[in-house]
Amino acid sequence: MGTISLEHSDRLYWLGRYTERFFTTMKALGRQFDKMIGTEHGYTDYLNCFGLPDIYTDNRDFIRRLLFDKNNANSAAYSLERAYDNGIVLREEISTDSLSFLQMAIDTMYKAQQSSNVRLALLPLEDIVYSFWGSINEHIYDDEIRNIIYIGKTVERLDMYIRMKYPFNIVEKEFVRLLKNLNRVPKGTPYRYSTKYLSDLVEILGTEEDYMKDAEKAVDSLGHLFETEEVFV
Amino acid sequence: MTQQVQFTKAVGNASEINELLRRYGVKFGIYKNGVFNEQFFPFDPIPRVITAEDFQSMEKGLAQRVKALNEFLFDIYHEKKIVHDGIIPEDFIYISKGYLAECEGITPKNNVYSHISGIDLVQAKNGEWYILEDNLRIPSGASYPLIARDLTRIAAPQAFEENPIIDNRGYAELLKETMENVNCGGARAILTPGRYNAAYFEHSYLAELTDSVLVQNDELFVEDNILYYHTYSGGKSRIGVLYRRIADEYLDPLTFLPESLIGIPNLMEAYRSGNVGIINAPGNGVADDKGIYYFVPKMIKYYLGEEPILKNAPTYLPFYEEDMKYVMEHLDKLVIKDVAEAGGYGVVFGSKLTKEKLEEFRKTIIAEPRRFIAQEVIDFLDLPIIEDNETVMRKADLRAFVLSGAETKVWASGLTRFSRNPDSFVVNSSQGGGFKDTWVLSR
Repeated sequence: MGTISLEHSDRLYWLGRYTERFFTTMKALGRQFDKMIGTEHGYTDYLNCFGLPDIYTDNRDFIRRLLFDKNNANSAAYSLERAYDNGIVLREEISTDSLSFLQMAIDTMYKAQQSSNVRLALLPLEDIVYSFWGSINEHIYDDEIRNIIYIGKTVERLDMYIRMKYPFNIVEKEFVRLLKNLNRVPKGTPYRYSTKYLSDLVEILGTEEDYMKDAEKAVDSLGHLFETEEVFV
Repeated sequence: MTQQVQFTKAVGNASEINELLRRYGVKFGIYKNGVFNEQFFPFDPIPRVITAEDFQSMEKGLAQRVKALNEFLFDIYHEKKIVHDGIIPEDFIYISKGYLAECEGITPKNNVYSHISGIDLVQAKNGEWYILEDNLRIPSGASYPLIARDLTRIAAPQAFEENPIIDNRGYAELLKETMENVNCGGARAILTPGRYNAAYFEHSYLAELTDSVLVQNDELFVEDNILYYHTYSGGKSRIGVLYRRIADEYLDPLTFLPESLIGIPNLMEAYRSGNVGIINAPGNGVADDKGIYYFVPKMIKYYLGEEPILKNAPTYLPFYEEDMKYVMEHLDKLVIKDVAEAGGYGVVFGSKLTKEKLEEFRKTIIAEPRRFIAQEVIDFLDLPIIEDNETVMRKADLRAFVLSGAETKVWASGLTRFSRNPDSFVVNSSQGGGFKDTWVLSR
């Protein structure tokens, strides 16, 4: 137990988070792309979910910048770059094969940016990301290591789903998934949850009514989930 | 040449293999104007082919050379018999930047100093191989032909069905054996300066293939003379052998550079006590100094009592009066190398200098004779490469890898680097060169 370094455990967690952020952003933008057809500034609901200002000139500007602008911290390209940054220092943990899927995703994004039909050109990304996760499952033998990356993935997914006001039944399933992952974390290791914030989440995500009412608080608790609790003597 | 063209057809086109190399992130980093850029290492699909007969003698010659160099390192850090016996002047030892007084008296496990040696060779047009330089500190490059072979076998399997090529993919096993030979009890680890190092791909790839832990400096610490890394559960795990990919002077600030913010305090003490193996041994720079290169054939005779099997390129040391005279008379035809430089830097071809520059350079050599060596320009064999769908000829060298474990073994492969510039002899990747696979034939 615990034979990976502290630095690597952190990288694994963030690899999980950024890969998921990339994937969920891509899927959300895909749906947004469809919703925007025949509208002007049809993206404001998306920005509202994340509390982002409208700095875009039109639908096209919005979609291109949210997809490809590496300097925009909310873009898919930015998340993918960060996933790669974390993955590249984990080659011996996750394998060259797994890393190759992140490289393929970067190459596919680059090609899509040059394409006349961006949405079509982005379709292979879904296959690539699923393959990445398959490869992670295949190549990481240590359950504890695999669990860290999955915790990152589930925390991110839950965070984005709540912000995007996903239906309760979907959020609930993801929360159950997170609880299972958290239960596998041995005491005294990072990514062992803070009892206080986990209790808050259990309360808020316990019923649809509380979820609808306190979604913002749930996002906040999720952000503090791994904070070390103060010890009062 | 005819043989090379025949292989061109067999291996298929460059774009397929480069596409695969790209997919697997085969990159190296370059700093230009202070900015780090990662680049894909251009691969040419026409392999360098070494016949079984050539390899047989090369293998013996390389193993012989590395054995002598290991003997030399032991001698220099202990009795220095070779100096006392007048074979090598002490000027070439103590003022060498690579000589580390701090390593005096340290005997690494099993007396191995250069566990991984990268020996650069060129083949002359008459077919003869010449040693260009020895790299005994942290020679890099083995991972590139290693992964390229794996991918070439996917892109062009028929080439490997039709030709008797020795499989080079055992390098990781060879490296593991070499590491285990000096393991003092604990995990195998590869120490990297980090993601922004030029050879980071190699560090992480070799860690993956050898089941080693890839660590950075701040993850390591020494406690009670034992090297450990911090585990994520708040514990510690012992390291028995450290394949470090950082320079000697940054290993331990308590021994080398007190002002250095990097390094592992007390690492040298743990090493000196025999509690951790360090690959390659600190202090090896004294043996791969370009000035010492001149003396390697003499070392072979001195330590092994054998005639050198492989030749050095004809080399002159301006340090010796007779050689200085020759260098001064033939400066416009020689290649001059600054012994303190590496990576293709500090190499000057006399024929390319203007009259004025030549005279200026002449004065520098006279003022600092120990700083330079001069070599005859070898008319080396050009190799075919594919450029814009055409086959063109370019300069190329070969870095052979010799691994010293329980036995000294020569890897039946190597990194063939070529210049992409038709007028250049400089093949280093940092200066835009590409690489090829190196096929050693079994018959």
